[in-house]
Amino acid sequence: MGLIENLKSYSEGVQISTEKKELFTSFMSKGFPTTKDEEWKYTSLKKIVTKDYNIENTGEIIDSSTVEKYSLGFDNRIIFSDGKLIGSPNIKGVSVNGFSNFGSNTTDSILQLNKALAQNGFTISVDKNTVLESPIEILFFSTTENNFSQYRNLISVGDNTEVKFVERIQALNDSTSMVNNFTQINCAKNTKVEYNKIQNNTPESRLIDTVNVYQEQDSTCEINTLIFGGSFTRNNLNFEQNGSNCESNMNGISILDDNQLADNHTFVDHKSAHCRSNEMYKGVYLGHSKGVFNGKIMVRPDAQKIDAFQSNNNLLLSDNSTIDSKPQLEIYADDVKCSHGCTIGQLDENALFYMRSRGIGIEEAKAVLTYAFASEAIENISVEEVKLLAQKLLAHKLNVDLDFSL
Amino acid sequence: MLQIKDLKAGIEDNQILKGINLEVKAGEIHAIMGPNGSGKSTLSAVIAGNEDYEVEGGNITFNGKDLLELDPEERAHNGVFLSFQYPVEIPGISVSNFIKTSITEKRKAQGLEPILTKDLLKMMREKMELLSIKQGYLSRNMNEGFSGGEKKRNEIFQMAMLEPKLAILDETDSGLDIDALRIVANGVNKLRSEDNATVIITHYQRLLDYIVPDFVHVLYNGRIVKSGGAELAHELEEKGYDWVTKEEDKKWA
Repeated sequence: MGLIENLKSYSEGVQISTEKKELFTSFMSKGFPTTKDEEWKYTSLKKIVTKDYNIENTGEIIDSSTVEKYSLGFDNRIIFSDGKLIGSPNIKGVSVNGFSNFGSNTTDSILQLNKALAQNGFTISVDKNTVLESPIEILFFSTTENNFSQYRNLISVGDNTEVKFVERIQALNDSTSMVNNFTQINCAKNTKVEYNKIQNNTPESRLIDTVNVYQEQDSTCEINTLIFGGSFTRNNLNFEQNGSNCESNMNGISILDDNQLADNHTFVDHKSAHCRSNEMYKGVYLGHSKGVFNGKIMVRPDAQKIDAFQSNNNLLLSDNSTIDSKPQLEIYADDVKCSHGCTIGQLDENALFYMRSRGIGIEEAKAVLTYAFASEAIENISVEEVKLLAQKLLAHKLNVDLDFSL
Repeated sequence: MLQIKDLKAGIEDNQILKGINLEVKAGEIHAIMGPNGSGKSTLSAVIAGNEDYEVEGGNITFNGKDLLELDPEERAHNGVFLSFQYPVEIPGISVSNFIKTSITEKRKAQGLEPILTKDLLKMMREKMELLSIKQGYLSRNMNEGFSGGEKKRNEIFQMAMLEPKLAILDETDSGLDIDALRIVANGVNKLRSEDNATVIITHYQRLLDYIVPDFVHVLYNGRIVKSGGAELAHELEEKGYDWVTKEEDKKWA
């Protein structure tokens, strides 16, 4: 059978609008992207989509101790269990609702599939002039064996707001699971949004995650992507700057082992003048893991005085790990500052000797240097709980014994 | 404590040390002086175990052990400490975590339990006071964005924390202003004991006004060409290195 067949039979049993039917037909005619598709050149979905999945969720009820195990303990939590919204916070100035059938034009088959069949997700709207001190935590749990789930989420923040999010997708069993998650963030004028993604799911989980950010003038949006777990992770982050003085920031770390794959695709569309974008992605690859980075920066003709910075630094720590890194700069304005750097390397010999001369054994020194290398990309995270979790996961994965109370 | 016999070492085919003989006993301070390119930094790198340098002949024993057989970390565990001429920046690791890792690794090698955080912090505070280091320094990333003086002071701070038997200070004075020099020298003097020894490698005599050596050696062209007491440093300052190098050049011409 395979996922396509599973989806087909599922679609026949649900009532959906004509528009959605058309989208689904369009998806079926194209299918999932293959490595012939330029955007999927280095990442094959073949093995993943030839498996069978449960499209309907038949999960169990989860208890609060499970929630606490994966939560960072924030007051404001949105909790999903098998697509059902089971926890929703009351926050002054913020309305939180379940799935809303919002539109978006797309020719991307995966997003068409999401639009056509997704029935779960959250809708957040933040009133003007609202500043939230504590982040909103979003937890998506799944309990159904071998399930395929789709979420479709919308965040709209009013003028002069400041809000932070922490998101985690977590399967509660060790079977194969797949998630197609889509989030749209509309940043109004003079807003500040930080969205943290903790991607540390079970060893057999697969994730395709897309975030589209639409920014108006004087807005800053930051997305931090922390990949530690999961067998397959594809992140698409797309920023559209529609006003002057926007800033788009992305930080990412991928610490992969075994046969894990993580693909970060980013796109910043600089459509207005006097804007900035910064991206820093760090990858550490062990075992037979594979990394992909594709960073596209487009500077439109009217977008003068753009300052765009992109870096992707990788450490290959085993002979069997690989990384494909591709910066893509398309610049049509003449007064811009764009820089990018991509490195693939091993550890600094001078630093290794320095540490060894202080009594730190070679294995520990390598681990500490690797930790130091990767941690640069999490230093900018403003939510302390997320930063600490990332540091701990990083240290744990690299077998480094660091004291976080120091 | 340290015996170096006929040590020959270099990088690739270029022999830099051409037969060094030196003995350092516990409680002593030795200064090794010499013009640029004489082999001072090579000597310190070889003692610390930098694998970029190849030892072609001779031997080094340290408290009875064949030092050249040990890895750099094992040398450190045995009590050798090198203060780097150019300390390395390690972004992402705080000074406190770096030092804790060093101490833990050293204690592990000695079969000791890891140090308790509160004991570590207490010790850090004491040593920071000794070196006039400000609060907030411990959480900074290792040498990242440090001024030249801060880096050197950080080296001495690590030395104070690791309590080595033999400390080699490679050009620790270069790039230091007079205040920083005094603080560093004061730290070294206070850490001095009957059980440990210090080798100061320097181009200038200035540091030796503050740390008075028992012996001064002049290194030139890969050999120790003159040895004497503290007064030799002053003589060198007065007469310049030419005074010894000319004589030496004649000998080998």
